[in-house]
Amino acid sequence: MPGPEEPALVIDGVTSGYGGEPVVRGVSLSVRPGEVVGLVGPNGSGKTTLVRVVSRALRPRSGRVLVMGRDPYGMTARDSARLIAVVPQDLQPAFSYTVLEFVLMGRSPYLSRFGGGDPNDWARAREAMAATSVQHLADRPIEELSGGERRRAILAQALAQEAPLLLLDEPTTHLDLRHTVDVLSIVRGLAERRGVAVLAILHDLNLAAATCDRLVALHRGCVVAEGPPETVVTADLLRNIWGIEAAVETNDITGLPSVQVGPPRAAPLPIGRRAHLIGGAGRGAPLMRRLTEQGFEVSAGVLHATDTDAVVAERLNLLRVSVPPFSEIDPESAAECRALIREADLIVVCDAPYGPGNLVNLELAIEAARAGTRTILLEQVSIEERDFTGGRATALWSELRVLARVAPSYEDVAIFVG
Amino acid sequence: MIAPRRYRRVLVGLALLFAGSVLLAVALGAVWISPWSTLRLFAWKLRLTSYPAGVPRSTEVILFQLRLPRVALAAVVGVALASAGMLFQGLFRNPLADPAIIGVSSGAALGAVIVIVFFGAGTLAAFGVPIAAFAGALVTAFLVYRLARIGPAVHVATLLLAGIAVAALISSLMSLVMSFSGQQIRDIYAWLLGGLVGQGWRSVAVVTPLVAIGVAAAALSAHDLNLMSLGEERAAQLGVEVDRFKRRSIAIGALLAASAVSVAGVIGFVGLMTPHLLRLLVGSDHRRLLPAVLLGGPTLLVLADLVARTALAPQELPVGVVTALIGGPFFLFLLRREGRTAGARA
Repeated sequence: MPGPEEPALVIDGVTSGYGGEPVVRGVSLSVRPGEVVGLVGPNGSGKTTLVRVVSRALRPRSGRVLVMGRDPYGMTARDSARLIAVVPQDLQPAFSYTVLEFVLMGRSPYLSRFGGGDPNDWARAREAMAATSVQHLADRPIEELSGGERRRAILAQALAQEAPLLLLDEPTTHLDLRHTVDVLSIVRGLAERRGVAVLAILHDLNLAAATCDRLVALHRGCVVAEGPPETVVTADLLRNIWGIEAAVETNDITGLPSVQVGPPRAAPLPIGRRAHLIGGAGRGAPLMRRLTEQGFEVSAGVLHATDTDAVVAERLNLLRVSVPPFSEIDPESAAECRALIREADLIVVCDAPYGPGNLVNLELAIEAARAGTRTILLEQVSIEERDFTGGRATALWSELRVLARVAPSYEDVAIFVG
Repeated sequence: MIAPRRYRRVLVGLALLFAGSVLLAVALGAVWISPWSTLRLFAWKLRLTSYPAGVPRSTEVILFQLRLPRVALAAVVGVALASAGMLFQGLFRNPLADPAIIGVSSGAALGAVIVIVFFGAGTLAAFGVPIAAFAGALVTAFLVYRLARIGPAVHVATLLLAGIAVAALISSLMSLVMSFSGQQIRDIYAWLLGGLVGQGWRSVAVVTPLVAIGVAAAALSAHDLNLMSLGEERAAQLGVEVDRFKRRSIAIGALLAASAVSVAGVIGFVGLMTPHLLRLLVGSDHRRLLPAVLLGGPTLLVLADLVARTALAPQELPVGVVTALIGGPFFLFLLRREGRTAGARA
């Protein structure tokens, strides 16, 4: 047995899937005894697959899993059931069992082939039922329980396994608020009082932040963020992996991050307005989606291929002009871009780093601003910090500041545009 | 879960019912043998008493050479069919599974008929029939299982469809084989409909050890069957080696079904009704269900055979027809109910 400091679960560079493209790619994480780790991420990000790999249902293609220092794929199902307890989303037995019979099934890994369970097994099952407050339902058929009661009975079955590692796959979906809090409180209690290591897939970020000691965010099968809830649940994460704009505030009382999603609005119809975006180094990407959502037909350029902005523009299928990476903008591309800018009702110039390669972009912007096109400058970072031309970019930027409106943040750009 | 005391009472009740049906079955027929005479003859046979006064010797012969072997065979076949039904229902997570409905009995019958037609009824057949029946049952069971399974569960509709499709295939193969049989066709046909006619202690002796092995293996699987009813993935999470367990259970079910078929032909619905009715009495825990099934299955078949023998006496009905007449409506009732709950779930 590893000591309390050693992790109960180690996932080390695991890649796995169902044939074809892997669903989980090179994921590493660990859970210590007594720790509750939440797995978050949008649908299809590989959370359930990862849990199946750990629960001995899906072999990793590469990498390894260690539970209490042992490989679950190297032991019998019975031995692994003593180490790993899984709480599935839901269970519908094919036949009618009472809650007590159902919970006693959690003792299976300890029963002899003939045994109906000794008094110890019964005591453990009763204990598990008490922990999840289903003891009064012991003789009721499982199919007659409400959703919340059945979910607690499933949790009791898993608790009866007395495993040092507990895996939960969205244990609270379809539960009302009261039952959700009940189930998560039980899980916290297990970790704190019995030192159970918990890895839980949770959909609701606020609940995940409130329940877990650490969060691991998965996106397209990879870990994209990991750490205490306040470092993981951020507006950037929501934007980048869920693609939603949400404010993350810190709750005054709990100190926990709290996600505020704006009320859903019907997407505006295209209003026939054109906006041109001058970006670079990923500074323009957040605005591309936003301007599109605000009803603009967006063009972008001149971009350097493989730059984040170029990739996002391509994904959003924007009108765009791009040149090869790290090359200077050639006159033809500049002319092409000028044609795009001429048709635009609005130009947004981002606070990208400017070097000899993209200085032309600023000249194009000044040209258009002088011609009377409405121009907005994003300036979260001052020009001195991103001038790689020895002062020429700064000079052009200052000229632009006179002609354009300066927005200190992305939010302000959105407001100015509206 | 029912209380242990009530469970014991149910088992005692089922045992008394079985004993009663045996006494009734040996009593009725062309010659009436009173239960009192039967009990006294048993006592004499067990060398507890001298030969009972006032009981003709012919009665003793009818009892021990004609009626008792037939009742014993019905009982053993009933055990085999009912426990096979329980096993398949648990394994397929489907309360409508039955060796005959899912085509396993037909598969066994095809194997048996091939041996009978091509090798005659000699000594080779005595050993060949059960072996060929087992092979036929095994192949059919795996085939139907593979066809019926979609995702994690075997659904009612796909199971029935796969069973029907495979049974149709088997039935055409069977017709093909029987077209080679000439004189034997009537006998084979009667046997196929399910017959316990004219078989002595020899059939009982052949089939009993096979059934005993099957039942013992089923008893060892009982707890894992409970876990399987939660779904394969959950069963694995609770310690069942699922793939191995499925292969083994299908083999056990095929052995039980084939044993029954090799001596009694295709008898449907015993495997469907027995576990179903007894689940209502003792609950779904297979460890408790199996003992009840071992008493209920033979009771049902002994009584069905009694009806087959006496309803239109001296004409005999095939026992498979009797079980189908009782079981068919029962099956339709379940199908309707199953359809409703499935609809409500969706």
